[in-house]
Amino acid sequence: MPAKQRTRADVELRLPADSAYVSVLRTTTAGLAARLDFPIDDIEDLRIAVGEASAMVLPEAASDTDLTCSFYMTAGSLTVEVSVEAPFPVQPDYDSFAWQVLSTLATRAEADTSDGRFSVKISMEPGEPGFGP
Amino acid sequence: MRPDRVRYEETSGDVSASGTDPTRQRSAELFELLGDSARSESDRAAAREDLVHLHLPLVEHCARRFRNRGEPFEDLVQVGTIGLLKSIDRFEAARGVEFSTYATPTIIGEIKRYFRDKGWAIKVPRRLQELRMQITTTTAELTQNLGRSPTPRELAERIGCTVEEIIEGMESSNAYATLSLDATDDGEETGGSMLDALGIEDPDLEHVEVRESIKPMLDQLDPREKRILVLRFFKNMTQTQIAEEIGISQMHVSRLLTRTLDQMRVAMQDAL
Repeated sequence: MPAKQRTRADVELRLPADSAYVSVLRTTTAGLAARLDFPIDDIEDLRIAVGEASAMVLPEAASDTDLTCSFYMTAGSLTVEVSVEAPFPVQPDYDSFAWQVLSTLATRAEADTSDGRFSVKISMEPGEPGFGP
Repeated sequence: MRPDRVRYEETSGDVSASGTDPTRQRSAELFELLGDSARSESDRAAAREDLVHLHLPLVEHCARRFRNRGEPFEDLVQVGTIGLLKSIDRFEAARGVEFSTYATPTIIGEIKRYFRDKGWAIKVPRRLQELRMQITTTTAELTQNLGRSPTPRELAERIGCTVEEIIEGMESSNAYATLSLDATDDGEETGGSMLDALGIEDPDLEHVEVRESIKPMLDQLDPREKRILVLRFFKNMTQTQIAEEIGISQMHVSRLLTRTLDQMRVAMQDAL
């Protein structure tokens, strides 16, 4: 966990849990990362990672619910958590290609399936090489 | 735009008072006729026909908003009319909404779909196109100098614009991606043969046993896309490094990666 991780998100976005809205999320993420002056490489990686994370949680979403996205910003890091209401979430397969993609793109990636929600949280801390944990 | 009452006449001089009270009244009468199952089929067909003519100025009004985007106005009116027809068939007068209010989004949607099908989701203004090219070249330049990928601020300083503009330029770059959905080449190539980038028996894939399940999918990819994917996710190279290795811009690498992952996701879902 980043040292100064706040409990309250700096930016929150709620979208219909529909893949059609993921591009909005991608754009928002890239915009925030750019404002934190991340290197272009990291901004673009994060843009892709958020798309992947959304693709991971969306199939688990209960119908007619929202995709909630929380952004936590510090000077050197951006954490994005995408989550959906999922009464019966499937445990994520950490050996899957999708996880491989996430953990390569982000500095950290973790999934959580508690309280009836399925969430995937990714952090990007530029400066560190993009090697896995 | 939420036109409670579209005033079509304001954009075109000779349109008769369409969109004004007599039109609305006439429209309401025709819809009543159209929905009256006691009427003969031909009466109702005639009412539908009249409705189309009555509201054609609305289509022209909508189409006019998409002028100067390289498509003939007549074509836009034609596709917009499809939207009008759909609206007429679905409209329920009992809901108490003005027909023009109801039809406008459908007509515009139809016109937008036309643009989308033509391959340009968003018309990127020339200014942004130029900025995009500047960002591409400056990114390459600064990457050389800095030994890493530059930040938006560094790009802005070098180009002499604001960070906001850089962000806008990067977005336009992504809008541009939809352009290349059906085209593998978008003119950014350096002309190097595709085969140059192709490993015969890709050695990178050999030690990727866990990924056995995705191998068939990888094999279906365009060789260059496959290579980029492998370099990024199995060799942990950065987008900039890949760009250099393959001889395309970093933005292009980003676009190709996004597209490839989307393709694979669809393929994976189909396979389930």
